[in-house]
Amino acid sequence: MVEFTLDGRPATASEGELLVHAAARQGVFIPTLCHDDKLEPYGGCRMCVVDVEGAPRPMPACATRVAPGMVVSTNGSTTDFRRTLTEMLLTEHLDPNPGGRPNELTDLAQELGAEAPFILPDAKREPYEDRNKLMGYEPDSCILCNRCVRYTQEVMQCSALSLEGRGGEARIVPTWGKSWLDTECELCGGCLSVCPTGALHEKFLTGADVEESALTKVKTTCTFCGVGCQLDLNVDPATDRIVKVTSEPHYVSNEGNLCVKGRFSFNFVHHPDRLTEPLVRGEDGELHPATWEQALQVAADGIKGVIARHGTQAVGFLASARLTNEENYLIQKLARNGVGTNSVHSCEAT
Amino acid sequence: MIGSNTTEAHPVLALRIKKAVRNGATLVVADPRKIWLTKLAKRHLQLRPGTDVWLLNAMMHTILTEGLQDEDFIRDHTEDFDAVREVVMRYTPEEAEKVTGVPAEAIRATAREYASERHAGIFYTLGITEHACGVDNIWSLANLVLMTGHLGYESTGLNALRGQNNVQGLNDSGANPTYLPGYQSVDDPEIRAKFASVWGGEVPATPGYRLDQMISGLHDGRIKALYLIGENPAQTEPNVHHVEEGLGNLEFLISQDLFLNETSRDHANVVFPASSFAEKDGTFTNTERRVNLVRTAVPPPGNARVDREIVIAMAKALGADWPEYPDAESVWNELAGLAPNWAGITYARLEQEGIQWPCVDSDDPGTPFLHAPRPARPNGRGKFFPVEWQPPIEQPDSEYPLVLSTGRTLYHYNSATMTMREAGILDKQEDPFFEISPEDASNLGLADGDWARLVSRRGELEARAQIGDRVYPGLVWMALHFAQARVNWLTHDVGDPLIGTPEYKVSAVRVERVPA
Repeated sequence: MVEFTLDGRPATASEGELLVHAAARQGVFIPTLCHDDKLEPYGGCRMCVVDVEGAPRPMPACATRVAPGMVVSTNGSTTDFRRTLTEMLLTEHLDPNPGGRPNELTDLAQELGAEAPFILPDAKREPYEDRNKLMGYEPDSCILCNRCVRYTQEVMQCSALSLEGRGGEARIVPTWGKSWLDTECELCGGCLSVCPTGALHEKFLTGADVEESALTKVKTTCTFCGVGCQLDLNVDPATDRIVKVTSEPHYVSNEGNLCVKGRFSFNFVHHPDRLTEPLVRGEDGELHPATWEQALQVAADGIKGVIARHGTQAVGFLASARLTNEENYLIQKLARNGVGTNSVHSCEAT
Repeated sequence: MIGSNTTEAHPVLALRIKKAVRNGATLVVADPRKIWLTKLAKRHLQLRPGTDVWLLNAMMHTILTEGLQDEDFIRDHTEDFDAVREVVMRYTPEEAEKVTGVPAEAIRATAREYASERHAGIFYTLGITEHACGVDNIWSLANLVLMTGHLGYESTGLNALRGQNNVQGLNDSGANPTYLPGYQSVDDPEIRAKFASVWGGEVPATPGYRLDQMISGLHDGRIKALYLIGENPAQTEPNVHHVEEGLGNLEFLISQDLFLNETSRDHANVVFPASSFAEKDGTFTNTERRVNLVRTAVPPPGNARVDREIVIAMAKALGADWPEYPDAESVWNELAGLAPNWAGITYARLEQEGIQWPCVDSDDPGTPFLHAPRPARPNGRGKFFPVEWQPPIEQPDSEYPLVLSTGRTLYHYNSATMTMREAGILDKQEDPFFEISPEDASNLGLADGDWARLVSRRGELEARAQIGDRVYPGLVWMALHFAQARVNWLTHDVGDPLIGTPEYKVSAVRVERVPA
């Protein structure tokens, strides 16, 4: 346990704790932009600087560990500094909201009462197009915090993205300027999940013009693989369609991370090939649409006929690891209680 | 990591492994292929497919020879250790090198590191289980874990990474011929009576058929009707041509699924349009035994229905006397009431956070470590099973000189009825492909991306050659995802003698050039 002083009051931190975390636990929220708990301390954007007694200059709270006896002020001169810094970022932040994602910079500007005093003459950066269909990048929204590049390096441990150029020319690019599809990128979308301004964003099949705040988020469990990632299906209430998939850092099992399937394979839900009517095979050998009443009748008669001719042991059930516990429970109950056989299994015999 | 291509099959779990290595953990990968994780590994044990028992027995040989076993744990928490000692002492690392292709010193070094590190865990997937000796492989791993006492506390254990989203829950909830929900034996008259009293009506005592027995039953006439729910055996089962012949013998087939698939298109009498995960309430249980809620986000399309409602309607149509199940929660409550290890889990609790079973009552926070404080067997002792190596069923020969192993890729999911409909993902991987070594490709005159024909005793297919050092000379690898080039046309269907798991990981094939 480390004791220190925060804005004139005694406070405690755990050994080696970052100042930004220790302050948050005392109810003091220090704004950050380049910081992300998934990533190692970076201290790049200076938005979180605080005054530390005896230090020669303001210190970044996201990269400074609390030391015993430290005297910290978060609400002195650094408040003005933050406002100025925000204004500087706004002077080259031409597109506040690509893809409808929340924007931490504009939220912060609102909170601090900061506005762009002017727009820099070279603020317009070279646009960036990529042939992949999943992720886009809007340089005019990017504040070069490098969270995305650090995510690829530290979490994915690949070299998918790089920071290219300097000054007004600087932007994020797939490494070597290739397409996303030709780098080591696995299309997990982790980079866009950590982007504070939505500069990196999903390319949408539908719903691109809908603000994320207008979408209904439904927390559920991913349907791919056994990790059980927790995610939010973002549904456009106007169309009842899933528009995108997000996750939160505090979700157990995946800590807000997703893979390419979890984040991007949801369009199958709305695919025109989905079966929308029961089908019954006719005497012509083809499958024809039927009502539920007809299909259930044919199915029940078919099963009953086999039982009558060959007994209950001639009927087998294959349940599925795709289904819920409740559905699998009902299927085995149908086999055992409805038909009278224990022959219920699945391809997950492995 | 053994038999797990984690970055592709469990990509988010792989992030934990990457992080652990970044924080200083030692990673050893045992896999026939040079998978991505080998980049981070201190050592890659590139064993030949189907030689796991040799590798593991030789590791145990080293541990016992050098006295690295945990004598206290063996004495206090296990039984039948001597039987394993007797067997593994015959498996020397030098002999193992000849069979597995892994250098003896690498086997020894891995054994020493594993035995001497207190926080050492083993993770495996289908590379271990999908063999005719799959159960033997698991027993070998269990022997290694018990011998070193790596059980029942953090960062240890023998961890099966479940492939599909609800493999764990499927078995937990009794979709298994041997067990009623909660792993309660169908052979036990008292258990059957308990279920009968809640369900109304007897629970059959006659043993049911496993999947492999149902498939063979298609041919010998034991099975005449199948009800498939979210299953596509005409793509996912081994030796698919044979399976399709069998499906043709059925008198009646019901398919309940999202899409028409290779099975229902040709064989189903009735097709029920079902629901995706986004259209239903319920629970999935993940690979850590954590029960997580699934919630409805959008309605099913058209007249498609939630699977739960379809099964209930079928029960009614068959004349079963079931209670009203107004929602998924009412079904869960019946399940939890019958299965003691789930008794403490309610939807209200799951709303807060997923819970790891066993969870026996409302005060039970759940169980992160199944085998703490002692192995979870009735007598509290982990059992050693001595294992002798059995070679794979099919060996390469002059006609079929290459070993074919199969698996999954990052970009697709099983029979890929879902992911093959995602344009953004198809950009990464659309055409069927197989991995082949530069040496074998050069001998065959194949260039990267060339179409080639893979032929086994059971079938053939065409796919593009992906040439690289992920596989060694003599080994080719292909994913199961491609409906137009089903690798299970090639695989054989002789599975594990105890549980019937197919040997997807080892078949013999030859590769031929396809004239341009």
